[in-house]
Amino acid sequence: MPSYRIQYSKKGPARYVAHLDLMRVFERAARRAGLPLAFTSGFNPHPKFSFAAPLAVGVDSEAEYVDLELSDVLLPSEVAKRLSASLPAGIAIGEVHVVPENRPALMTMVDRAAYRVEGRLSGTLTDAELESAIGDFLAQPEVFVERKTKSGQQKRYDIRPGIFAMSGTVKGDIIFLEMELKSGSSGNIRVDEVLSALQEKLPLLLKAGGFAVSRTGLKFIPRESVD
Amino acid sequence: MDILDRILLEVQKPARYAGGEWNAVCKDWDGVKVRIAFAFPDVYEVGMSHLGLQILYGLVNSRPDSLMERVFAPWPDMEEKMRENKIPLFTLESRRLVRDFDLVAFTLQYEMTFSNVLNMLDLAGIPLRAGQRAGNYPLVIAGGPCAFNPEPLADFFDLFVIGEGEEVIGELLDAYQAGHRRGLAREELLLALARVPGIYVPSFYRVDYNEDGTIREVAPVRQEVPERVVKRVVRDFDRAFFPVRPVVPSMGVVHDRIMLEVLRGCTRGCRFCQAGTIYRPVREKKTETLLKQAAGLVGHTGYGEISLTSLSTGDYSRICPLVTELLGQHGRRGVNISLPSLRVDSFSVKLAEEVQKVRRSGLTFAPEAGTQRLRDIINKGITEEDLMEAVTAAFLAGWPAVKLYFMIGLPGETMEDLDGIIRLARETLARGRSAGVPPGRLRATVSASSFVPKAHTAFQWEPQSTLTELKEKQAYLAGRLRGRGLVFNWHDVAASFLEAVFARGDRRLGSALEYAFRLGCRFDGWTEFFSFERWLEAFRRAGLDPSWYAYRRYECDDVFPWDHIDTGVSKQFLALEHKRAMKGGTTADCRLGACMGCGLCPGLAVEPEFAGGNGNAIV
Ligand code: SF4
Repeated sequence: MPSYRIQYSKKGPARYVAHLDLMRVFERAARRAGLPLAFTSGFNPHPKFSFAAPLAVGVDSEAEYVDLELSDVLLPSEVAKRLSASLPAGIAIGEVHVVPENRPALMTMVDRAAYRVEGRLSGTLTDAELESAIGDFLAQPEVFVERKTKSGQQKRYDIRPGIFAMSGTVKGDIIFLEMELKSGSSGNIRVDEVLSALQEKLPLLLKAGGFAVSRTGLKFIPRESVD
Repeated sequence: MDILDRILLEVQKPARYAGGEWNAVCKDWDGVKVRIAFAFPDVYEVGMSHLGLQILYGLVNSRPDSLMERVFAPWPDMEEKMRENKIPLFTLESRRLVRDFDLVAFTLQYEMTFSNVLNMLDLAGIPLRAGQRAGNYPLVIAGGPCAFNPEPLADFFDLFVIGEGEEVIGELLDAYQAGHRRGLAREELLLALARVPGIYVPSFYRVDYNEDGTIREVAPVRQEVPERVVKRVVRDFDRAFFPVRPVVPSMGVVHDRIMLEVLRGCTRGCRFCQAGTIYRPVREKKTETLLKQAAGLVGHTGYGEISLTSLSTGDYSRICPLVTELLGQHGRRGVNISLPSLRVDSFSVKLAEEVQKVRRSGLTFAPEAGTQRLRDIINKGITEEDLMEAVTAAFLAGWPAVKLYFMIGLPGETMEDLDGIIRLARETLARGRSAGVPPGRLRATVSASSFVPKAHTAFQWEPQSTLTELKEKQAYLAGRLRGRGLVFNWHDVAASFLEAVFARGDRRLGSALEYAFRLGCRFDGWTEFFSFERWLEAFRRAGLDPSWYAYRRYECDDVFPWDHIDTGVSKQFLALEHKRAMKGGTTADCRLGACMGCGLCPGLAVEPEFAGGNGNAIV
């Protein structure tokens, strides 16, 4: 059955839609759009959506992906048009293209995610000071954060291997950070973990709070290395 | 990033406050004359499951001159952040302040939300008491079942709407605009609104008390207002507004599906049931109307499930053809049908069998009482045989579990009735075993809620059982409903007690409620937040004895605090029903053809309506 890879953005009120609720949102949108959904077999059939990488609640994104299987062939542009008109405020469809059947699950193909962070500083900071703080941060061989395991225990986890790049600028009392982090089904790093670890090198961030975070892109593992 | 978006990052489930759902309507503020905030005094997931909200929202927003936006009770974590950051209560659609609206309309679905009502007013920056709202504050209004005894909230609301809202809301909006054009001051505006049938403005009524604390009289203080406010009934239910573009939440809510209201009202006449009185008469929509609405709803919402809602959907006179048609039209697209309430008979089980492919959860039946004698007292017209046939049919159809709902503390209850509950539960298990349900999966869950005497019912004269008695009864059942396959659930008796206090309360309770709110009572319907001690402290400070309200046995000719609210069902009829109950006599459903003389149809000039024509009321 034909499968489509759909790129979409998630902003405005939709950034508060939790990842677990997205399936429901897309299923209903697809039904409103009159798309011929393909369903899993079994007692409790559900439509075949496969999402790329979970996005934390409250984070904007320009580049989210979902694979969707239909029971009939439609032009990708038709899928895009119909879905666009049926999604709630803040979710907008970008590119849609056909993907081959039996492809690996989208989630397993995600490798990295790029983020932009914007926040207010609690004091003054120059670009040079910011650059050296980031330099110090990245120079650390290990950066440990506390994580809760499924059983509720605290665990120390080294996020440093999952931080691939970071840069930043300051405009007045607003700080902008860009970072590229490991994403996907294993080794996923969250932006808030990075920010709280960064605060040790950059105490000015401490009282800032309330960062506006957007995901600006996802990088996939090249096809060859998956096959 | 604005401060609201910042705190939304710090609370649980921020989607509760984000808006932007499919079909949400955000109209131009300056392009309309009247703006209403619909306030639901419970959390988003509960409020968005309420059909009445969707009806009024669709209706008001379909008028070019008006807009309606939604607001729900903020969960305690959000309330804390809002207070800390001085963010007043705002609506979801436009994030405007609730106090900037012309009208703030609360729906009163259950007594345990009353403290949330006060909290929301306070968060909105609106003075709690109607008398302190002179000047530019919105009119604070309310409707819903609890408005049928509005007295405990009388001090806090400018007006109440009694009965069904579909027609009266339009009249209210018209009268409001007319009053505004004439430049009426608040009191005169309220007086003009009080002339709209079904609108009750409590400040125009004076309550006199007898020496023993009972009510002597509730009488108008202005001659322009009616002595009794008669409830509104939609004239033509089949043609009444019904929203086919309801707001579709993006997060999971309690009833996350299409709610298609197939009929309104129930005349089975259970004597404890307030809904049976206030939603009379029975009116069914035509099957064609329902099919059209269902098609619109499926297309405009994208839901994969249609729930056929009403007080008793199995009573719909053309239920079989309706279900068959709906399945035929939408089944292929993966749309399921569900029936929220099942009658206790094998017919209903067959119906459930037809619509439910998955049999994971159990079927629910409500015999309400454990013996025939007590079921006759409450006029629950089912027999033990009906119940056994129903559970057997359920087991044979593949459901491994059933839930049985009972009430304890009913008038006339004895230990035999409790033993009856135990016996019925065991008998149910026995039926399951003979039907071949694997012992490991077989389950009978018994839920026992506590009887709460409600205004406008045949049992409104009756006291509630004491807290001690109810606890003893629960313990008795819990001790005996043990063993393989048996599960016993019960409700907090303190919450039922409080519900009884307010259900039959009067205006004096307003001060207890205000103390309770000041002491921090919130979300009293949620066990994790309910604090009985705080409530008792509130009553102490108000100098009121809550037991006086809950445990009072009224005399036949006593005046009730709600006597000036007219449901159309006469007090004489209820008194007669009460007498019959005490003698164990039953009363038939007027759906079966014979009018039982409740007074409603002649009084309100309405008639029951049935989908197959009025000779076809019976399935
Ligand atoms: S007046 Fe008669 S027919 Fe009408 S609701 Fe009452 S009992 Fe039924």
